[in-house]
Amino acid sequence: MAVRAETLKELEEKQEWWWAAEKKRSSRLDYLRKAMWKKGAIGGLYPAGLYIDLERPVLQTEKARELEFSPDPYVIKFAKILAHVLDNKTIFITDHSQLVGYLGSQPHTITWDPTLAALLNHEVVNDPTSIPEPMDESLKTITDVANYWAGKSDLDKILPHMDLDDAMKVLSGAIGWGVPLSRGGYSGKDYEYIMSGVRAFEDVIAELDRKIEEADAKAHEPGASKEISDLYDKMNMWEAMKITLEAGIRHGKRYARLARIIAENFETDPDRKEELLQISEVCERIPAKPPRTLQESLQYDLFIQLFSRNEAIEGAWPSRPDYYHGPYYEKDVTIDKALTEEEALDLVGEFLIRAAEVSQYKVRWAREGLQGIEGTWVWTLGGVKKDGSDACNAMTIALLKAARLVRVANPTFAFRWHPKVSDEVMRECFECIRQGLGYPSMRNDPILIANAMNWHGHPIEEARTWVHQACMSPSPCTKHGFQPMRMANATANCAKIMEYVFTRGYDNVVNMQIGAETPPAETLTTYEQVFDAWVTQMKTIFSILVRPVNRARILAPKMTPRPYLSAVSERSVDSGLDVCDPSISRGNAWITAFTWVENADSLAAIKKLVFDEKKYTMAQLKEALANNWEGREEMRLDFVKNAPKWGNDDDYIDSIMLDCLREAAKFSRELKCPSGNNWPILPENVSGNIHYANIVGALPNGRRLGDALYDGGISPGPGLDKKGPTAVLKSCSKIDHISDGRAFLLNTRLSPTQLAGEKGYQLWKTYMKTWADLGIDHVQFNCVSDETLRSAQRDPEKYQEVIVRVAGYSAHFVDISRKTQDNIIQRTVQGLG
Amino acid sequence: MPTCKECKRFFPLEEDPGKGDCVQRVIDPRQAYYQAKPVSADKDAVKCPSFEKK
Ligand code: SF4
Repeated sequence: MAVRAETLKELEEKQEWWWAAEKKRSSRLDYLRKAMWKKGAIGGLYPAGLYIDLERPVLQTEKARELEFSPDPYVIKFAKILAHVLDNKTIFITDHSQLVGYLGSQPHTITWDPTLAALLNHEVVNDPTSIPEPMDESLKTITDVANYWAGKSDLDKILPHMDLDDAMKVLSGAIGWGVPLSRGGYSGKDYEYIMSGVRAFEDVIAELDRKIEEADAKAHEPGASKEISDLYDKMNMWEAMKITLEAGIRHGKRYARLARIIAENFETDPDRKEELLQISEVCERIPAKPPRTLQESLQYDLFIQLFSRNEAIEGAWPSRPDYYHGPYYEKDVTIDKALTEEEALDLVGEFLIRAAEVSQYKVRWAREGLQGIEGTWVWTLGGVKKDGSDACNAMTIALLKAARLVRVANPTFAFRWHPKVSDEVMRECFECIRQGLGYPSMRNDPILIANAMNWHGHPIEEARTWVHQACMSPSPCTKHGFQPMRMANATANCAKIMEYVFTRGYDNVVNMQIGAETPPAETLTTYEQVFDAWVTQMKTIFSILVRPVNRARILAPKMTPRPYLSAVSERSVDSGLDVCDPSISRGNAWITAFTWVENADSLAAIKKLVFDEKKYTMAQLKEALANNWEGREEMRLDFVKNAPKWGNDDDYIDSIMLDCLREAAKFSRELKCPSGNNWPILPENVSGNIHYANIVGALPNGRRLGDALYDGGISPGPGLDKKGPTAVLKSCSKIDHISDGRAFLLNTRLSPTQLAGEKGYQLWKTYMKTWADLGIDHVQFNCVSDETLRSAQRDPEKYQEVIVRVAGYSAHFVDISRKTQDNIIQRTVQGLG
Repeated sequence: MPTCKECKRFFPLEEDPGKGDCVQRVIDPRQAYYQAKPVSADKDAVKCPSFEKK
């Protein structure tokens, strides 16, 4: 893309932020940003030019074959396979970069982990677009790898130990999403242990050696007990953890060596030579020893994340970069003046780019549900420290500034707002929103800290360390508080609750009895009976989704252990137990509630039109839904237009929403995770509203099979919020954001014209004050005009860099499906003031 | 028969000269980089299109 001829000022006036950023950033950042291969799937397919990386699967398979008959316990074999990959994979250093590390062997590759699930491997075998040339040879390799892991992959091993009835219902794809695996989902991290700056890999290894030595001595003292028997498993676990950390250190040193080789043998530019020697020094130290500088700290974080993604497919990136890197930023930039602000911004911007390019091959439904991005890398900024004081620092500002320079769609930020946040930081957040990034989303810190204490019993100091474990859900990053793996299949396609009330739990799309056999809809003679049936279906669906996760959590320590994640987690280093072992976790589970608001809108329509006004019977409604409203257009429009809709500060429907949430909340306290904690719900959507369009049948809110669902969380249906932004906030504020669920996503569209200048900031600040005063836990903004979005639909080439907020994540507008694009345009633009 | 150790792109490990890295410059449509892949010094280089005598 050519650099635009207009001046920076002209571009900013025209609000062409993506072109303005290009002019503003350093030549290094410009190179690195343009060097980045975007990895997010478009329409479920990976973009042209990307290829599945076959190097890692081959390394994993050759090591697994070699170890097949070795006497090592499984966890040690698994650690050795991971170490083999880190020792032997191809590494590279991109020109101008200062941070190193990538999952694949080349920048344009997507890594494939064949150890996870045969169903994933089958998709690779049949992938129409991303198999590298020469095709015949690649297919031979892929088939060999896939055949080897058939029956040996995690899911293949776990499934026979599950309730197969539940498993089939989950895998039908009608009500849930994801699989119950400890190596496929969203891994939390014990940042308080591994990122606090007081220890790094060598320190942990020393601790593991002490543990092994003590246990070994104890195991050989005279005596016998269960405790002594358990020590053998623990020693194996500690040994496996050590193998992964030692491999991590060696991997760092491989980069140190490559940087030195380039500097000494190839590079002719003295400045770049200096930088390469600096990279070499950093990687000689990191991750073995704690970081001393911002560059070391960022490199350390990057290695921690990449090693974890060598162990598992991680669909999220829980992180708090300003909190953990802030002290190094302050030291380098403010105190020692070793870096100028611009130099620091180069590092921070590159850190975002390094994260943005991370890629792991996923099954098609996951690619469709996460259109345009690789996963939900929602990084947490702001918030409070453990003592309750403001945690914002110069790194918070640097990250927000860097985001506007590199304009990646992933990672995005979520900002923990609290009353002590300075105006300077709020202005930085606003600038990102105004410039159309769609992030940071704003989170209400006091509410969410109280929520974490209420739902999961986290002590206040731990609750205050929370980060986003995925798009929305807070999880502390403490020894017992962090959740090692959120298994994504406890993600409910909640519109099915309503659908099943009319089908007695039979799913006509996948032709299977999934829900409860509630009474036939035509026999329900009161609204209360309809609501009772709804509650039964809700309980049935949630239970089907939660039980496999609970089971997988119990099976995980033995069948799908995580030696590396355990090694960077204090609970496991202390206990010798796998990080997923429920006995060492407080529990922080949640049910993601996709397609939630359709339930309230549908119930309100039934209550008003069937029972209050008696315009239709339940039998007529059932028949209309069964026929997808065909031949009943007038009736359908009645249900769309003449029934109350959520988001208009109308108590008629808002009270129904509360009834639904409170029934779910009550049941959430009956559903227990293996640690004995609760399973609260969390309404949000990613792009599930589009993915499920052809899976959810017709609904009483007037929606037809195939129509996009609402954009999610507690956001009103697109275009159905007719009474302005305050009415939306008022409806949302009727929900108790501490006790009615774990968090609630709210999408809002604002007009970029209205947000221009100081006046725009003041309008937004007033809106944010209302939002905070009303105790709402989340809000996120799209701030790109209809005109720009329509132009981008007409001429995508010209608008490659326009970013929009989809749901709990942002994406480049041109990378999402037409249906999702239309859905975003349909959202009401709220006028402020 | 040429082996990797005779190649310009081979950089032996100090602690074990029988092993080393094959370091190559790569330019793809978006970026340029140097890559390193572990190889053994005695690896057969006959079929390697990038072999260049030291
Ligand atoms: S270029 Fe070929 S011959 Fe040279 S070191 Fe690399 S693999 Fe060996």
